[in-house]
Amino acid sequence: MNVIINRVAEFLRKHPPFSFLEEGDLLSIAQSVEISYLSKDEWLFHQGEPARPHFFILKEGQIMLQEAGEIREYCDVGDVFGILALLGKRPYVLDALAGENCLIYSIPVAIFEKLLEKNPKVSLYFAAGFAAGQVVFKADLEKGQEARMEFSRKSEDHSLLIFSGQSAFRISKNVLTCQPENTIREAAQLMDERQVSSIIICNEQGYPLGIITDKDLRSKVLSKGISPDKPCSEIMSSPVITRKPDTAFADLYLSMIKNRLHHLILTEDGTAESPVSGILSDHDILLSMGNSPAVLIHALNNASTIEEMAQIRDRAETMLRYYLENEVAMDFVAGVMTEINDVIIQQAIAFGKKHLSKDYSEMEEVPFAFLSLGSEGREEQLLRTDQDNAILYGNVEADLKEKAQEYFQHLGSYVVEAMLTCGFSACPANIMASNADLVLPLSKWKAKFSEWVLHPSPEALLRSSIFFDFRVISGSLALGDELSFHVFEEIKKKPVFLNFLAKNALQNPPPLGFFRNFLVEKSGEHRDQFDIKARAMMPLTDLARLLVLYHGVSGINNTFKRFEKLAEIEPNYQELFTQAAKAYEILMRMRAIEGLQNGNSGRYIAPEKLGKIQRQLLKNTFGPIGELQDIIQVRFQLDFFRS
Amino acid sequence: MSWWPFRPEEKKESFVEEYLALFKSSIPPIRKINQLEFIVLDTETTGLDVKKDHIISFGAVKIKQGKIRVDSAIELYPESSKSLANTAKIHGLINRENLLSPKTFSQKLLSYLGSGIIVGHHVNFDLEMLQKISSPFGLKSFPNPHLDTLDLAVRLEYGPHINWNEIPMREFGLDQLCERYQIQTEDRHTAAGDAFLTAQLLIKMLKSAETKGIDSFGKLFR
Repeated sequence: MNVIINRVAEFLRKHPPFSFLEEGDLLSIAQSVEISYLSKDEWLFHQGEPARPHFFILKEGQIMLQEAGEIREYCDVGDVFGILALLGKRPYVLDALAGENCLIYSIPVAIFEKLLEKNPKVSLYFAAGFAAGQVVFKADLEKGQEARMEFSRKSEDHSLLIFSGQSAFRISKNVLTCQPENTIREAAQLMDERQVSSIIICNEQGYPLGIITDKDLRSKVLSKGISPDKPCSEIMSSPVITRKPDTAFADLYLSMIKNRLHHLILTEDGTAESPVSGILSDHDILLSMGNSPAVLIHALNNASTIEEMAQIRDRAETMLRYYLENEVAMDFVAGVMTEINDVIIQQAIAFGKKHLSKDYSEMEEVPFAFLSLGSEGREEQLLRTDQDNAILYGNVEADLKEKAQEYFQHLGSYVVEAMLTCGFSACPANIMASNADLVLPLSKWKAKFSEWVLHPSPEALLRSSIFFDFRVISGSLALGDELSFHVFEEIKKKPVFLNFLAKNALQNPPPLGFFRNFLVEKSGEHRDQFDIKARAMMPLTDLARLLVLYHGVSGINNTFKRFEKLAEIEPNYQELFTQAAKAYEILMRMRAIEGLQNGNSGRYIAPEKLGKIQRQLLKNTFGPIGELQDIIQVRFQLDFFRS
Repeated sequence: MSWWPFRPEEKKESFVEEYLALFKSSIPPIRKINQLEFIVLDTETTGLDVKKDHIISFGAVKIKQGKIRVDSAIELYPESSKSLANTAKIHGLINRENLLSPKTFSQKLLSYLGSGIIVGHHVNFDLEMLQKISSPFGLKSFPNPHLDTLDLAVRLEYGPHINWNEIPMREFGLDQLCERYQIQTEDRHTAAGDAFLTAQLLIKMLKSAETKGIDSFGKLFR
């Protein structure tokens, strides 16, 4: 056995529950360990973050588990932590901060879940810990028993448990205040400067007298025609309801709900006769509850680093899973995920421009468009599969040409790297904005598309078809429109291009074999698996693209929306196109669920693992593919057409 | 260098071609360190003479997204004509079964390396020894970027402008560095054991590099 795995196993063996494991199981766990290093004062995870697919055992150093800055628990060498959130499938309840330089072993939960089933001693160990609400599984068992004793006494307190798991809410401690004599205008200006939605009116001791919110400015000042030069005291809501800052979250939230408050003021002793110490808004609570599209997009727009965006994108995945499993309409799901991905790209571009502004100030005026191609271009990228993108920029004066190329290539690389950090894989064919061949001025992009249209070869089409799905994510829409227009003009001039494209669209083999069984991969890593992308989705994508180009329809990128549009244009095939749109939605959902479950792209599905209904559903989606392919065969005279 | 003056240019085997094709595009300098893939390796050899000595064992482990991936740990034992008797005494190695032929070893090695960044302590020595095994199959050198933990350690302690004459090299052995970075030294003198120590050393050093502003591929390999 490998020395490294043995070394890791030896450490694990000394600590429960690993000490209960048989040698073989221990080695298989050791083999799956990932080792990371945190220096003192770095965070491992934050309260409220979704659980990672790993739990942790401390190899060296010390981790402090904290709640709102207060230390709840220390983890020492050999302690196991981060498992409660993981197995309970809920966010972390505490912050984890490195108290010293730490070496941490991460163990994938999937492996451990298997062992829990197999090994009664291990599951008992954890069961005892869970019942005790233990956050850290201590290296010695006695403590676990102590904790269990504690638990039997305190069990009453868990009545509002629903809140404790998600209470990553933030109380703003830096509260905006003013005096009652200040004018309404001054208060509004202060709120504007700080970009907050409320201001607390305090007396000289800092005791809260009243509060003015955005809504008050609207309903008490503007609509009533009250002069903004009047003092605040005339319009403030008063008296105010106050609470102590260390009140349990559930109580705070309930006071807000009961009193219909959007803002709850916290004071030192909880009465209005003591200084203000914080404010809690329903917006903060909404943010803490995490996974709604508005919240995530808001958070992305306010993210200040790429790493922060990466975390938010992880949270979006939790939301996606919920949507998919609950059969939320696909156009909504795809729309939301596209918006989230777009915001990430837009933010990355903004960061990149800022990063480059010092060296390339003259470039800021050059118009450009960041293009997404392929599935993100078609607004249907649910999972973080490959990124495909490019940059199109306005034609520049001859003397700036080199500098512009350099600038946009730097910008492209910056965005591509940011996307990598956010979990989008690199495109294996290098169709990315970091590739010099894909960062081009308008004239060269036009030439590139003309070349594809005028001299279509099967190989070129295979590679270039995703370019025809381009969509402007950020920058100049006009540039994108100009390129689209050019493409349509070129196709009009050389309509035979469409015959080539049609031939290409029929290249993917039909998904079902002669006996109506799935055509699975015959060899390689994915043997006996069904390639849902190449055999079912791509044919539909290709067909939809071909037909919108044929009809000269622009601005619709979604495959299922393209089919819906085609149903309008060709009423005699209305039913077929509508079915094709439906089929595509089903395939997208299936692939995404498969991918989320297995932590991969979901591209390969094992038909025998699908339930009977799912399998039939999948087969039904193939119907429209065959019918459409027959129509294309005739319409583009492919029987007589030689490429 | 060859002892036989008329040896024709080695023809590249297809697995070597495949490996070399991985280097068509290079790593962008702004790529963050935690997005890089490192392959930390070590070899145990019969001695220090690249011409005469040869590899007894090869051990390596990968670091992806800042984490040592134990599941990527690998140990390979190439066969050799030389008797192992002498070195077995030093390293406690006994004759292994399933020794790999130079070709199989090279195939496994190259497919394992891919285009990742190669890291080792005195890594150039390991690379020369490895290249020697693979050269009959057409491999002239490893195009992977490579990083010597010794150089990085010196850079971190002495700053970017190094006068190598002033460096007390004795303090930069793997043992001394492990002690300084508080890494328990076990399994010394097995290739995989040393690779594992070097990998731990690397993640600790990269963290300290980050505090010094060395946070991207470009800065690491300036």
